[in-house]
Amino acid sequence: MTSVLIPTLETDRLTLRAPKLSDFERWAEFFATERARYERGIMARDAAWRVWASDVALWQLRGYGPFGIDDRATGAYLGEVGIYQPDGYPGPELGWFVVPEAEGKGIAAEAARAVMLWARRNFGWDELINIIDPNNDRSIALGLRLGGVIDPDRPGEDPDDVVVVHDLRGLA
Amino acid sequence: MSYSLTIPSLETERLILRAPGPQDFAPFAAFYASPRADFVGGPLTAEGAWRMLAMEIGHWTLKGFGRWTVTVKGSDEAVGMIGLFDPEGWPETEIGWDLFGSHEGKGYATEAGAAARNYAYTVLGLSTVISLVKPANTASARVAQRLGAKHDGDFIHERHGQMQIWRHPGPDDLTDGGMEAYA
Repeated sequence: MTSVLIPTLETDRLTLRAPKLSDFERWAEFFATERARYERGIMARDAAWRVWASDVALWQLRGYGPFGIDDRATGAYLGEVGIYQPDGYPGPELGWFVVPEAEGKGIAAEAARAVMLWARRNFGWDELINIIDPNNDRSIALGLRLGGVIDPDRPGEDPDDVVVVHDLRGLA
Repeated sequence: MSYSLTIPSLETERLILRAPGPQDFAPFAAFYASPRADFVGGPLTAEGAWRMLAMEIGHWTLKGFGRWTVTVKGSDEAVGMIGLFDPEGWPETEIGWDLFGSHEGKGYATEAGAAARNYAYTVLGLSTVISLVKPANTASARVAQRLGAKHDGDFIHERHGQMQIWRHPGPDDLTDGGMEAYA
């Protein structure tokens, strides 16, 4: 027998919990639109399921992975946040997306802060990175708002990726 | 609060079916790099194979069932991946079998496939399962026949193209003797 345990994290407004199959509709919807162009790319539904399932498996393969984000008050699904590291990534990446109606409310920032704290406490890591497409202004802005610093010398996944480094050492 | 999932192991006469894990990557990637994977979405680069193996594992988390790594008793080395598969876009739950390298021709797919089918009926409570076979994959069709499945129409997948639907005997058909009844 092999087991996996995926924790639940709480913030003021959010619950971060294990991904579940019913998240897929919103996940696939997001990754079918233009918004996904500078995230993972636009994906057909069946391809999206396979990419998502492989992300979810990071919990077994690495001990960390994606959380679904729920609104604590209503239970509504708001998006995903977590630590991503498929084969070929230079290190564990802090990643996020939120569904369109949850944008502009600081949801991704609140979720990302909770994941950074969890990563520091659980793994003792000194840093996390974001790997961001250079055209993805919103994500770069959020990375910087979270206290990250662009390091032009770090490799991303693609040659022109922007890598934002978050120093976790101040978190406890 | 947390979510926990346990992937069970199954034992047959000669085989152990266990949870897939990172230790299976080398044989899995070698299989998907070879022309033998032509019928099942290959060939894949190492990075593509990593994603594919991860997808098999994530399938368990999302659906509560999936495919097992097949090992021969006495060794933990993966000789194949066999079990229940129902990703987005599939017509219904199938028993899928892939054997790696030189492990074909020993009846492992039939043996593990029967165990997976029994799990589908007795643990998951399914009333029917299929296997999808590419028309040119005659070896796979023979496994389906040995398991007592019957060709039951075709399914056209957007990217994988035409696949034969082989429908397995249902739980009631298997009550006396399982696959032996069809040997």
